[in-house]
Amino acid sequence: METKQVEKPVQLQTSLLGGKLSDESFITLFMVGVLLLVFAIACLVVPNFYKPQNILNLITNNWFVIILGIGVTFVLITGNFDMSVGGNIALTGVLSVYFCQGFNVSQNALANGLGLPYVVAVGLALLCAMGVGAVNAFFIAKLKVPSIIVTLGTMMLARGAAQVITQGAQRNTSLPDAFGFLGSWGIPGTSIRISVLVMIALIIIAFVFEKKTVFARRIYLIGANPEAARLSGINVSKYLTVLYIISALLAGITGILLASEFKAGVSSRAMGYEFDALVIALLGGVSIAGGFGSVLGMFVGAIILSVVTSAATGMLLSPDWQFILKAVVTFIAIVSQRFALERRKG
Amino acid sequence: MKSTENVLEIRNLVKDFPGVRAVNDVSFDIKRNTIHCLVGENGAGKSTLIKILTGAYARTSGRILLNGEEYNSHNTRDAKQKGISTLFQELNVVDQLTVEENLTLGMEDTTFGFLRKTDKINKMIGVLNSIEPSIKPNQLVSSLSVAKKQIVEIAKAVAAESDIIIMDEPTAAISESEIGRLFKIIKGLRDNNVTVIYISHRLDEIFELGDYVTVMRDGKHIETKPVSEIQDRSELIKMMIGKTVFEQYTPREEDCPDTILEVKHLSNHRLNDISFDIHEGEIAGFYGLVGAGKTELARAIYGVDEYEGDIMFKGKKLQLAPDKAIAAGIALVPEERRSQGLFTILTIRGNVPVMNMKKISRNGFINDATERNVTLEYVDKLKIATNSIEKEASKLSGGNQQKVVLSKCLFADADLLMLDEPTRGIDVGAKSEIYSLIRRLSKEGKTIIIFSSELPEVMNICDSIYLLYDGSLKSTLRNSCDVDSENILHIVTGGE
Repeated sequence: METKQVEKPVQLQTSLLGGKLSDESFITLFMVGVLLLVFAIACLVVPNFYKPQNILNLITNNWFVIILGIGVTFVLITGNFDMSVGGNIALTGVLSVYFCQGFNVSQNALANGLGLPYVVAVGLALLCAMGVGAVNAFFIAKLKVPSIIVTLGTMMLARGAAQVITQGAQRNTSLPDAFGFLGSWGIPGTSIRISVLVMIALIIIAFVFEKKTVFARRIYLIGANPEAARLSGINVSKYLTVLYIISALLAGITGILLASEFKAGVSSRAMGYEFDALVIALLGGVSIAGGFGSVLGMFVGAIILSVVTSAATGMLLSPDWQFILKAVVTFIAIVSQRFALERRKG
Repeated sequence: MKSTENVLEIRNLVKDFPGVRAVNDVSFDIKRNTIHCLVGENGAGKSTLIKILTGAYARTSGRILLNGEEYNSHNTRDAKQKGISTLFQELNVVDQLTVEENLTLGMEDTTFGFLRKTDKINKMIGVLNSIEPSIKPNQLVSSLSVAKKQIVEIAKAVAAESDIIIMDEPTAAISESEIGRLFKIIKGLRDNNVTVIYISHRLDEIFELGDYVTVMRDGKHIETKPVSEIQDRSELIKMMIGKTVFEQYTPREEDCPDTILEVKHLSNHRLNDISFDIHEGEIAGFYGLVGAGKTELARAIYGVDEYEGDIMFKGKKLQLAPDKAIAAGIALVPEERRSQGLFTILTIRGNVPVMNMKKISRNGFINDATERNVTLEYVDKLKIATNSIEKEASKLSGGNQQKVVLSKCLFADADLLMLDEPTRGIDVGAKSEIYSLIRRLSKEGKTIIIFSSELPEVMNICDSIYLLYDGSLKSTLRNSCDVDSENILHIVTGGE
């Protein structure tokens, strides 16, 4: 690709460069402040909360929702939703089991699979996950059906398919030895497993992608004004299609890793994860109207939620009350963040 | 108290925003039952003044007397109750509701939350009927033209027994024939004891309509005087900006022989068998009233809307997709600046390079320095007034927003630039800058097509003029110093 350097203007008007923080960085920093505050409170009320091992756990225990959050964040930035990721995790996990379970090895239907090698099973399962994304994209980008409707539909479709394959329960027998490796191997002596490394790698890639690439810039343009984006020569449906397939692929990867970790394909796995992913993105400052937000913000949002959940457990709060605590903190954080942004914009 | 001569007296009014005094010690009177025009360039302080009157902004200091009494309003509803109604540019009607529902919107009578039909509704319908009998109360507002929607709003203001009705550029989006009818209505309002504050960038309207005119510049009050005491437009323009700006059309020295765009038998739901050729390097102008098919024609060429027939650009058939049109070398400045041209929530830097990302990137990765330099270059070239390229586009004035959209299209490096209503709703100064830019681009060899519903615009800069009426191309003429504008108006209003 030939890139021509554009001539610099004769007098560099550096004063016009405006060294001020972008609104996205401002929100991310604001949420880092919120995180520190929540963390400080947690340290005061929960014994040993400040210990390095606990801090590490805050990140490593949430790898799955962070991976989902990446796809969901980019889809949100285009002004759309992806509610199908939770169902897609269950489907992919179940399929990865079914594809590599022994062929005709048992009287029990739930113990029989296709007998494929594990690597092939994973590849096929990921393809199916992307298929769900392609279905989303077809209805949203081509037929212009509102994304919330389409993805709520595919969410149930994917989970329904997982239930049919597991007869409403799970598949966990006659698995090859390799099956448990991805989910259980970790750096010895730490809580860092492959899944966490995958999450870290994906976050770094997503961060660079978001800040540096033309593709990501166009995602923001589509979210900021889809009509102007189209008239500016952006093939909006192409971009939406790619994003929905990427979001589905990330859900698929999560599904494979979770199935491996539990050595089982469970049809009820990841129930409600689509909402967790949405909540952390919003906590991180992503605008529900599109055109605004960042992966780093989403990451900070995930840690905030993790601190609250973990502190609630540490305070021996009954799980019944944890939801309300999470709801209150999330609500206050998002409202204060919007308020701060309004004030800044004046 | 309604006997005072002045319905509104403004005394030493000041409004400060951080870093800028938008209204600076403004004092003038508005006489009862007159049409009082308010003119000035964008940023002159008109809008701020109006927003103080309607209660959208709180003043910093100064006094306003309405009917001789201290006036202060907290919001538009409050202002309306005190006697000042406003017709904003963005009309305050709900498309999905009927005319009747719109009339009573926000002031419905209810019993336990259920709507009740009352005399109020009948009165409003009566008012509407007396202004414009062709609008039926049970009609959906979405089926009305912009002009008729305005009439619905005017009826609402009249029924509220307003002393003053403020109209912010009511003619910006309506056709010439509808303008005539609107003017009749405005004059009727004056004769029925309503004072109209009229804001417009179209100076001719002021001579046709106004009793008094107030000129503002840089937040200051320059002059208030009877329109009859003003000699001509150039005197008004001089007051607004201090110098005369309009250049007259100068005929092109040499012909443009090469055809760049051929349109053959183009038809779609709004267009009817249109054929023409555009030559390389010329400035072509499509003139017609609103609804004549200008925008539809631009959108068809740009590959946005489907059509039958052939459109050939540089000898090749154009495909039906804007990204393909841009790749072929066509760029469009769309009709609706904010909804179709601009990414308002993004910065100037986020807007300018979007139509030619290849030029600021390598292998799909953006070069930040190149991006900034490109933006600086256009801010400089088009004189976009801003203190930073990181400023949100929504915070710029209309003229500067249009310059950002223009920058975006210029950066696309197109050979054919299509401009749909390029100067709608922007001030005289920015308008003249855009005209000289268009001339300069044409000298550089670019082909330009302007789609406009302002005849002076087309007559000032276009080499050839195409007249559209009701989706058909009615006539083509070469511009010259003695083009018969009456004949043009005759044709575009449906005359043979």
